[in-house]
Amino acid sequence: MKTSPIVRILPDVHVLKFGGQSVMDRGRAAVYPLIEEFVRLKRRHRMILCAGGGTRARHAYDIALGLGLPTGVLAALGEAPPRQNARMLQMLLAKHGGVYIMPDDFDKLPLYLAMGCLPIMSGMPPYDYWEKPPMGARIPANRTDSGTYLTAEFLGAKSLTYIKDVDGLYTADPKKDRKAKLIPRISVSELIALDLGDLALERVVLENMLHARHMTSLRIVNGLKAGSVARALDGKDVGTLIYRD
Amino acid sequence: MRKERAELRQKHLQGGLKAESLIDKSVLRASAADKEIDILPDAVVVSIGGASIMDRGAPAILPLVDEIARLRKRHDLVIGVSGGARTRHVFKIALDLGLPTGGLAHLAGASEEQNMKMLQALLAKHGGIQMTKDHFWDLPHKLASGMIPIMIGMPPYHYWEQPPRRGRLPMNGSDFGLFVFAESIGARRLVYLKDQDGQHEADPKRVPGAKLLRRVSARDLLRLPDEDLIVERMLLETMLCARHVREIVVTNGLKPGALTKALSGRTTGTVIYAPKEAGR
Repeated sequence: MKTSPIVRILPDVHVLKFGGQSVMDRGRAAVYPLIEEFVRLKRRHRMILCAGGGTRARHAYDIALGLGLPTGVLAALGEAPPRQNARMLQMLLAKHGGVYIMPDDFDKLPLYLAMGCLPIMSGMPPYDYWEKPPMGARIPANRTDSGTYLTAEFLGAKSLTYIKDVDGLYTADPKKDRKAKLIPRISVSELIALDLGDLALERVVLENMLHARHMTSLRIVNGLKAGSVARALDGKDVGTLIYRD
Repeated sequence: MRKERAELRQKHLQGGLKAESLIDKSVLRASAADKEIDILPDAVVVSIGGASIMDRGAPAILPLVDEIARLRKRHDLVIGVSGGARTRHVFKIALDLGLPTGGLAHLAGASEEQNMKMLQALLAKHGGIQMTKDHFWDLPHKLASGMIPIMIGMPPYHYWEQPPRRGRLPMNGSDFGLFVFAESIGARRLVYLKDQDGQHEADPKRVPGAKLLRRVSARDLLRLPDEDLIVERMLLETMLCARHVREIVVTNGLKPGALTKALSGRTTGTVIYAPKEAGR
C-alpha cells in the first residue's frame, strides 16, 4: 500500500512548556511577567500551555521511592502537581481566555483555539501505571518534558518551546558549575553523543526526536528574562535550539 | 510543636530530591533499588489474543470462558483482551488517511473495548466486570469480592504514543500494555493465550516444522525478526527492565486445559524469562 503523508492536526499552534520547579515554584515574581507576556502574544499567536510539576512532584517521588513503590505508582503520583500548576495558570489567565483542559478534552482544542482561548493542560503524558520501568532507575522517564513534546509531535505544531530558568542548554548545570557554557545550537545526535551527566531536558525527548515525523526542532528559553518567549515564537535566535540534522 | 513542624517541612520539601535534577544520571542511578513493593502479589493476569482467539468466535471463546470461570475459584484473575482484525482494519484506514501514530493509538482502544464487552457479557454470571483505567484503584475491592475484572490491553498512551522507530504503527501495543500493567501491580503470573503452542524458533505459519521453544530468555528472542515473535518486541524490551514480572507464559488458548496448566506452573507452552543480569 502506498503510504500517505502524515497530516498535521493543528499546524499553526505553538506548544509551550511552563517549567514547574524552574518557573512556577518561584511564584509571583517569575509567573506574573510571563502571564503578561502570554496575554500580549495571544493577539498574534495560537498557543497551548503545558505545565510542569516541580518541587511537589519531587517530594512525592522521594517519599514513594523510600516506600519501595514501583515506577508505575510514581508516574501516577507525578500526575497531580502539574495538574495543580495548570489549574493555577488557568485561574490567572481566565480573564484572558485561559481554559483548563484534560487529555479527554484534547479533541476539543480546535474549538477553544477558534474562540480565541488559551488552552492550558498538564504536561504529564497520561501513562500512569502503564509507565515503563526505566533501566537501572525507578523515576519515570516520561514526565512533563516528554508529554509536552509528544503533544507537539501529535499535533504537528508550528513550534515547541520549553520555558525554564536558565538561558538554555549548558555543558554542565550552570547552577552548580560556574564554568558551564551555553550551547546556542546543537543537533540531537551531537547532544546524545556528548552524553552529558545532566541535561535541561528529559532524555527520552531526544530519543523521540530522532524518530519524530513533525517536531524535529525545539527551543529552550529563559522565562525569567522578559521577551524570551516572544522571540522564540517569532522564530528569532534565543536560548538553545535543538534540531535534527 | 511548631518547631517540629518546621523541621518536618524542611526535611520533606528541602531534603531528598528537591534540589536535585531528576535528569542527572547519578540521581537516577541512586533511585534504583533491589526491592519494590508488590501491590497485588496474588493477582494473575491472563491475556486473550484478539486475532488469535476472539476473531475465531464461539468455538474458540466459549470453552475458554468456561475454563476461566472454573479457575476463578482458585485464582485472583484479571483478564486482558486485544483487538484483532478490527484494530488492523481501523489502522489500515487511518494510515491511508495520513493520520499520525498517536491518532492510531487512540483509535485501537475502541475495537478492544468491543472484545472486552463480549467477554464481560459471557462472564457476567461468574463475576465478570469491565475495568477501565480510572478504576485501577478499585482492583483490590473487585478481586476480594470474587469478581473477574476484564480490561483492554492497549496502554492509555493515546495521542502521547511515542514516535515509532520504524513504520507508523504504535510500538506500545496490547501485549506490552498488559505486561506493564502486571508489572505495575506486581502480579504473580502473566499468561498470554494465542493460537499457537508458544514461541517457536520461527513463526510456524511461515516456516512449517519450526521447533517450539519451552524456555527462552527475552534477550535471545529480541534477536529474532518481528515476524517470528509471538509477542510484541516492546514487551520483550521492557521485560529486561522489569522488577516484578520476570517471566511470562505464552500458551495455546485453543487447547482446553492449557491455561489451567500455565497457572499451575506446568505449562505446555513457552516460558519467556528476563535474564538475571538484566534490569533492576
